[in-house]
Order: sequence, then structure tokens, then C-alpha cells
Amino acid sequence: MAIIRMSRRSVVFTGAGAALTLRAPAVLGQAKSPYAGTTIRGAAFSLPFHQYLKDYFPEFEAATGIHVEFDVQAFPVYNQRMDLELSTGGSSYDVAVLTFTYQGRWLGAGWISPLDEFLSNPNATPADWEPGDFVGQTSMRDAKGHTYGFGIEAGAVILWAARGDLLDKAGVELPKTLADLPKVCEAIHDKDNVAAWTGDNLHHWNWPPYLMDMGGNFFKDPPRNVTPTLDTPAAVQSAQLYTDLLAKFAPQGVLSYTFDQAMESQLSGRANMRNQAVTWAIPLIKNPASTVKNTVRFAPFPSGSNGWFPGVAINGFGIPAGSKNKGAAWEFIKWALSKEMLAKLVKDKGYPSICRRSVIQGEPFKETLTLNGQDVGALYLQALERASDAGYMKYRTVPVFPMVGDKVNRAMEAIASKQLDAAAALKQAEIQAADDIKKAGYSIDL
Amino acid sequence: MTRQASLARQRRAFLTWCLAPALAVLAVVTLAPMTYLVVTSLTPLNLTNPMTAWNFHQPLLNYRLLLSDQRFLNSLWVQAKLSFWTVGLQMLIGIGFALMLNLRTSLLQALRTVFLVPMVLPPIVVAIIWKVLYTPDISPAYWLFKAMGLNVPALITDPNWALPAIIAADTWEWFPLTMLMVLAGLQTVPEELLDAARVDGANSWQVTVSVLLPYIRGTLMVAGLFRLVDSIKAFPLIYLLTDGGPGSVTEVTNYYAFEQAFNFSYLGFSSAITVVLVAASLAMSWVLVRMTGWGAAE
Repeated sequence: MAIIRMSRRSVVFTGAGAALTLRAPAVLGQAKSPYAGTTIRGAAFSLPFHQYLKDYFPEFEAATGIHVEFDVQAFPVYNQRMDLELSTGGSSYDVAVLTFTYQGRWLGAGWISPLDEFLSNPNATPADWEPGDFVGQTSMRDAKGHTYGFGIEAGAVILWAARGDLLDKAGVELPKTLADLPKVCEAIHDKDNVAAWTGDNLHHWNWPPYLMDMGGNFFKDPPRNVTPTLDTPAAVQSAQLYTDLLAKFAPQGVLSYTFDQAMESQLSGRANMRNQAVTWAIPLIKNPASTVKNTVRFAPFPSGSNGWFPGVAINGFGIPAGSKNKGAAWEFIKWALSKEMLAKLVKDKGYPSICRRSVIQGEPFKETLTLNGQDVGALYLQALERASDAGYMKYRTVPVFPMVGDKVNRAMEAIASKQLDAAAALKQAEIQAADDIKKAGYSIDL
Repeated sequence: MTRQASLARQRRAFLTWCLAPALAVLAVVTLAPMTYLVVTSLTPLNLTNPMTAWNFHQPLLNYRLLLSDQRFLNSLWVQAKLSFWTVGLQMLIGIGFALMLNLRTSLLQALRTVFLVPMVLPPIVVAIIWKVLYTPDISPAYWLFKAMGLNVPALITDPNWALPAIIAADTWEWFPLTMLMVLAGLQTVPEELLDAARVDGANSWQVTVSVLLPYIRGTLMVAGLFRLVDSIKAFPLIYLLTDGGPGSVTEVTNYYAFEQAFNFSYLGFSSAITVVLVAASLAMSWVLVRMTGWGAAE
């Protein structure tokens, strides 16, 4: 046993220091932040980033003297409540998660405060915080280049199989093209009582990579021209392929599956392949309840006749325009999305959906996302960069996206449940979307 | 005579003044929001554009849009089917159970409370129970079907079964209310009336159809109206079980109005839908009351 010898003086100093540390974190915080004593309220939907980050709130509070409270809701409830809250210009929240579905609408309506003032002030944002370190669209800007938020979570779509062993047995690989996808499903479907495919009911997120791979888009030229283009031949063809996967190769009842249910169908080994954000693939290996830990395989989302367009969705932190504590809110965002904190989330929690390039390219991230011998982190970064370079995710930034997305969800359900054929369902969606866009005051070419 | 008229006038004035505070509160609580709803329905109010709040340039635009909105028209049809089946089934099952419980055996007396359980459960719990039952992966019912070799489709995602699935869940939840009301009505039937019918040679069926049910016609009317109004307000089961789908198979008008207001912020348009819904409810109630002659002097 090591014996530590201390002088009387050092005992006195150490004791005094300890007493100060224990008694006066707020005082120290006040010295560090002009916002000490402020309470900021945040709003988020239930997502891993928040679950992990809240464990470190005491550190932030001790360092700055700013107290943090968060309201957390389920995703659809959050969107509805936040939409109403922001529309009132209320000051209930100082920090909010700008969801990928609604951020275009919220930014367009002027409900979120621009961060440029903080970013251009070296006292508010030190140079080493590096806003440019956020990959592509993970720093949320409007068409004029103003910044409104930074990504806390990037969802980059990849393809994975829970039971890679069944692909081996059938002599096939994870498909590289959309044309091969149904063939691979055919080869492995119902083998060992495992459905070949699974998915969740967020079709307006899952379907667009198919649509764009085949040369289609949601709108004519987003964000400038939001004329819907949902009934083009590419849309019909891609919708047919997408819904065939659900109707022919997925477990019974898949149309009602939420994110969690789809993940559970893979965790329990009842379904094999799925395309979604990488976040939903990691638990297949990391979750102790997973029955498929050793058989999970990953691949990029398949490419189509028009190229490769993996979906990328960003949820980020922003400051509501009505907040009365914008300075303190920025202190929080700055802390939560600092390189150090994100690196800590990777190291301590294995968090995979990081938006800072320097952290993604760091060794701990690579280690965390090397799964079953595959560098999933590289697949993730590849998709993020592809979306940034090609700029094809602009369709999500238009304020009318939620309305059009709803029409797409309904159309996909109608096709998959054989109520309508793809052409009729998408024609209907096109008409309804056009009506809704006009209702919102936009002029379109129809 | 003049003095009597004066007294009557004073009496009316007195009663009016007594009622005035209550009427004022009633006006504020019910009529003001209703008026605001109607006024809003005449504007294109959209939360993303505050300037639309008092824009009355095209006051009937929302109503014109409704006429050509296929999803709205479909939602009315879905609503009609849902209301018809849920009210019909709840009345039939409720009357059946009430007649059974009216037999007053000790076993049935004990079972009364059990039958009330679905009605007192919070709607969210009811929705969760049925969600579990209707989800093939986790449903004990589906395990049973599988063991029996039956291939039953996933009810809430099958376009042919989604609405019947909602109807079944709603009927299960609310038949106890009609049962309770009918049972209360049955217990007011004078015993001598039943004895007289039996002495005249009526059998049980004839007693039920010709004596009991006509006697409680008013109760049946109230129960039916309650359920009709409630069926138009159907929401939690649809929200949690089907989200209006698959497609728009279970999207009732109420749910469509909710989507327009809370998902897309089209409050003006949603208000117009709600005004149509309120008007339709009032019209249906009025027709039903007139058809059955309920409340008319005997």
C-alpha cells in the first residue's frame, strides 16, 4: 500500500482548496460566465444524444453557473408542440432541437434566432471552436448564408443486414445497386424464418434515396421552385420498388412499424436487411439484447440509374427567436457541441452520429464505429460528404416539406397495401401536395 | 288582470336577472370560442404567416377548397362508416348486456362491475391494449392464430381490416356506457306493467320488444345521441393505432382537422373543417330527435 506523506502546510492548503471547491462552484462559475445564475430551458425529442449529454449537465452548470432544464418528448409530439410554441414567439425555451422535418419551416418563418452575432464575436466564440469543422449541412444555414444551428445528430443512410450469414448461405452479398436489391431479397427471404427486409413508417425519409437514385426529386428545383414532382416516371418506378420491398419481403404489419419496432425486428433476428440512418444499425451490435451481434454486415446505400443519393438528415441545436436568454443558450450550445464534449461522447458513450469532421476522423470514433471488422464510420462520413457536395438534400429545407411528406407517407401506404397502384397513388399525392403548397401561399407551376 | 300581467312581467325580469350571470359565463365559455372558430374559418390563418390572422379577402375560400378536397370528402365517408357501426354495435351489445344483467341473478350482479372496466380505462391504455393485440409480433391473439394454423393479416395495416379493427376497439371501450344507461332505464320499468303483459300471454321476447324497449325509448335516444357525438370525436384510438392509415382508410374528419391544424398550421382551413363537422353533428342530432319524436308532448 502506498503511503502519501503530506506536510502540515500542504494539508491546510489542500483542505482549504477542497472546501472552496465543494462550497462554491457557482461562485467560480460566476467568475467564468456572465450568465451565472441564469436558468435556461431546452426542448428536445427523445434521442440518444440528449440521453448521453444530460449526464454531463452538472459539469456545465459547475463551470458556468448556468442551470439547465430540458423537456423531452416523443418525436411526433415534439414536432407538433414545438411548432405551436415557436409560432407564438413565446419565450418558454432557450434551446431547441431543430428537427430535420421542421427546420426548413421554422427557419423560413423566422422563428429561430440567427447565430451569426455570436459566431462573429471572438468573446462569444473562440476561434478554436471552429464552426467550419461541422461537416457540410450539419451547420444549418438559410439561402442567404445565415447560420441558425449546429447538428447534434446526423442521420446518414446506409444499408445493413442483421443476418449476414444468411446472405453467405444464399451466395449473395449486400446489393450495390437498386436493381440487385429485390434479387437479394428474393434469395434470402424466409430463410431460417427471417424476413428479408424491414423498415419503419417514415416513408418520406426512407423513400427519397430510391427516388433520387432513379432520377426523381420531391420538388422541381428546391428551394427556389417548390412545384411538387411526385408523379414522374422515376417517382412511380422508385415507389414501386420501395413498396414492393415492404409488401413482399417484410414482416407482417410492417406498415405500422415505428423506428424502434423496425430495429426490434432485426435485434430479435426476425428480419434481415434495412436501410436507415446509421444510428439505428449500431444497437444491433452494441445492445446486450441483440441476438445478431456477430452477423451484422454494413454497406453503402445502393446506387441507381441516376447515381448515388444516400439520405442525410440533421437534427441540431438552435435558439428560438423568443428566447430571453440567448447568450446563456449559446454558452450551452457551444459547450454541448465543442470538440472536447463530442469526443467525450464518442469515448464514454460510443455515440456514433457526430457532426464534427475532426472528431469523426479521430481514432476513438474509428474504433467505436469499427463494427464486426467493418469501418462503419467511413460509410457514415462518405454519405455526409456526398450530401454536402451534391446538395441534393435541399428538398428537406423548404418550409412546405412536412405537408408534402405527409402526402408521400399516405401514398406509400396506399401502394404497399394495394389500395392504389403506384401511378394513381402518386398522382393523388401530387394533386394534394400542390393544393397544400398553394394554401401556404407559394406560387407553383401547376 | 293588469296587476297579474305586471306581476308576471316582474317575475320574468327577476328570473332573467337571476339567470344573467350564468348565461354570461356560458356565453364566454362556449359561444365565444365557437364564434372565434367560425370567424377563423373565414380567414386563411396559417401560423407561419401571422398576417393571415385577420385576412377576410376571400371569406369562403376554405369552404370552396373543402368541396374539392378529396381527402376531406373521404374523411366524411370514413366518419359516417365509423359512426354507423360503432353506435349501432354499442347500442345492440349494450342493450343485450343490460337485459342480461337486469335478470338480477347473484352471478350477473357480481359481473356488473367487470363489464364497466373498459369504459373507465384511460383511452391511452385502451389504445395500448389493442395495439398489442393487433401487432402480429407481440400479440397473444396472433400466437394463438399461428398455433391453430390460421394466417390472419395484420389488422391495422390491412386496408380491408383497419377500420373494422378501430370499430371493434371502440365498441369494446364504450358499449359499457350504453349498457349502464339502458340498465338504469330498465330498472325504472314498473313491475306491474310487466306482470300485466305476462298475464295477457306475452312471452319474454314480446315483453322485451313491446313493453321494455318502448318504455325506455327516451333512455335509448339519449344513449344513442351520446355515442353518436362521441363517435364524431373519435381520436386516441386512430392516432395511436393507425395514424389515419393505411393511406387514408381510417382518417376521420376530426383527425384530418387535427392534422391540418397541428401538423401543418393551417388553422383557418382546419377551423372550416371543424365548423362543417359541428354543423353536421347538430343536423344529425336534430334529425334523430325529430325521427324518434323524443321530447314531443305525449
